[in-house]
Amino acid sequence: MDRPLRVDSEVISNAAEGGANWRLVLRIAEGWPETQPGQFLMLSPGRRGRVERYDPLLPRPMAIFRARRTGGETAVEVLYKVVGRGTSLLADARPGDEVRLVGPLGRGFPEPSPGERLILVGGGTGVASLFELARRSSGRARVSVLLGARTAADLMGRADFESLDVDLQVATDDGSDGTEGLVTELLEREIARGGAARVYACGPTPMMRRAAEITGAAGLPCLVSLENRMACGFGVCLGCAVPRSDEGYHLVCRDGPVFESGDLSWEGLP
Amino acid sequence: MTTAPDLSTNLGGIQLRNPVLTASGTFGYGTEFAPFMDLRRIGGFVAKSLTLEPRHGNPPPRIVETPAGMLNAISLENVGVHAFVEEKLPEIPEGVPVIASVFGTEIELYAEVCRRLDGAPKVVGIEVNASCPHVKSGGSEFGQDPAVLARLTRAVRRATSLPLFVKLSPNVTDIAEMARVCEGEGADGIAAINTLKALVVDVETRRPSLSNGLGGLSGPAIRPVALRMVWQCARAVGIPVCGIGGICTAEDAIQFLLCGAAAVQVGTANFLNPMAAVEVAEGIGEYCARHGVERVSDLVGVVEFPGL
Repeated sequence: MDRPLRVDSEVISNAAEGGANWRLVLRIAEGWPETQPGQFLMLSPGRRGRVERYDPLLPRPMAIFRARRTGGETAVEVLYKVVGRGTSLLADARPGDEVRLVGPLGRGFPEPSPGERLILVGGGTGVASLFELARRSSGRARVSVLLGARTAADLMGRADFESLDVDLQVATDDGSDGTEGLVTELLEREIARGGAARVYACGPTPMMRRAAEITGAAGLPCLVSLENRMACGFGVCLGCAVPRSDEGYHLVCRDGPVFESGDLSWEGLP
Repeated sequence: MTTAPDLSTNLGGIQLRNPVLTASGTFGYGTEFAPFMDLRRIGGFVAKSLTLEPRHGNPPPRIVETPAGMLNAISLENVGVHAFVEEKLPEIPEGVPVIASVFGTEIELYAEVCRRLDGAPKVVGIEVNASCPHVKSGGSEFGQDPAVLARLTRAVRRATSLPLFVKLSPNVTDIAEMARVCEGEGADGIAAINTLKALVVDVETRRPSLSNGLGGLSGPAIRPVALRMVWQCARAVGIPVCGIGGICTAEDAIQFLLCGAAAVQVGTANFLNPMAAVEVAEGIGEYCARHGVERVSDLVGVVEFPGL
């Protein structure tokens, strides 16, 4: 894997997309390494250029939605929800501001085999981890994307997924978009159609736990991408430990964020 | 001034190229930072605390953010001293001084870890983590009882010929007394401070935010407290003091030097800025150049206090 960068990136755009959803596009002038689908970065929410800010102190882990290279520079795109102090500060960043980040970090999703059937299951902000995987796989594998949210307004990145050559299905808790119900119910239905498939899931822990149960019962492989509190993102704070299925802990940042569902002890996940 | 300031530092017999180290538990085993910096540009680093056997650490959640700080309860997850010597040390580039941090639940376990580090390449010193709960004292920290701290320092002093530093717990009434105890038992230097014992409660669940309940507070939030304690230690002992506590910038570090620290350790800042320690070292050099300071050691302890 290429080495991550610590860099002050320039905000190209930062805009609300309905509900609490925001899209931030950052320009990295040079040296951004090749990004694997499922990798993440650490964004310092309050720091602007040389002006330091220590409250909130810690950078926030964010999935890399997409990284597009033009010549030497790279536009890195992040989808986020304004939920607390850190993300509120991030929403204040204006075009031209400098935002500090460290990335790309972690081990992403393995590449699918040609012709393989993939079922991607995303909920909440977890949707953002799946877009690059869906985009890169859409030409060479058979891809179903199942997205879940509370309401239509909460759903992230719908239009981006619609632009891909994938089978897109949506579930919302209130039925305001797609099927009324949980995205894991769409997964059960999709699996019931039979045949081999590999499932990739990213979202709230209960969603991924359910996806692991469903795929376990069906005997299908399932990869999950975990979100967790972390202070550094590169394996030194040891704050993002999750219990292994045998003994001890994985670090989400270093050993993941993508794991085989069977390698985790689901009862002990935060 | 025509020549660059001399940043070289003698810390209790360890020769460092500059006075900026990184704190145990915030710098892994060094190699994690290789993508971000040339490790030879900092004075050296204090590795993650080592126990005799590997430890898995606490269940999650292990960290929680606080105003300008963070609380952690990792419980000293580490690979154990054997794997450190066999697997981690060889990966560290030549020319990078490593101080090994040691830790145990009983005095004899500390001493045994020190003996296992004897003669290990690249290890230039030992830092004793005195903030561990002492099983025989009912779980209070070794560093909270002067008699226990004296016995611990005496035992590790006998177990190693390397320069020996004791990292003090701030969870005491009189930290200067603790520093004097360590000096009296033959320590070559003091490192201060470790994290402050602290608590955050989640009001929705009405439970502590960390699985362990209590945690250790670190980051800029503790810096003024740390500076006061380092100043007190430096006035109390003749051996060098390594200042630790919320240092993020060169200005922060220089405050510690002025208050008597011969060197500093950058800790929590490494998490949010993996280049922090190099930037602190460079900034100290720029400060010296700007103020016509020829040797960084000329800054140590020169703070002018009214009435003293």
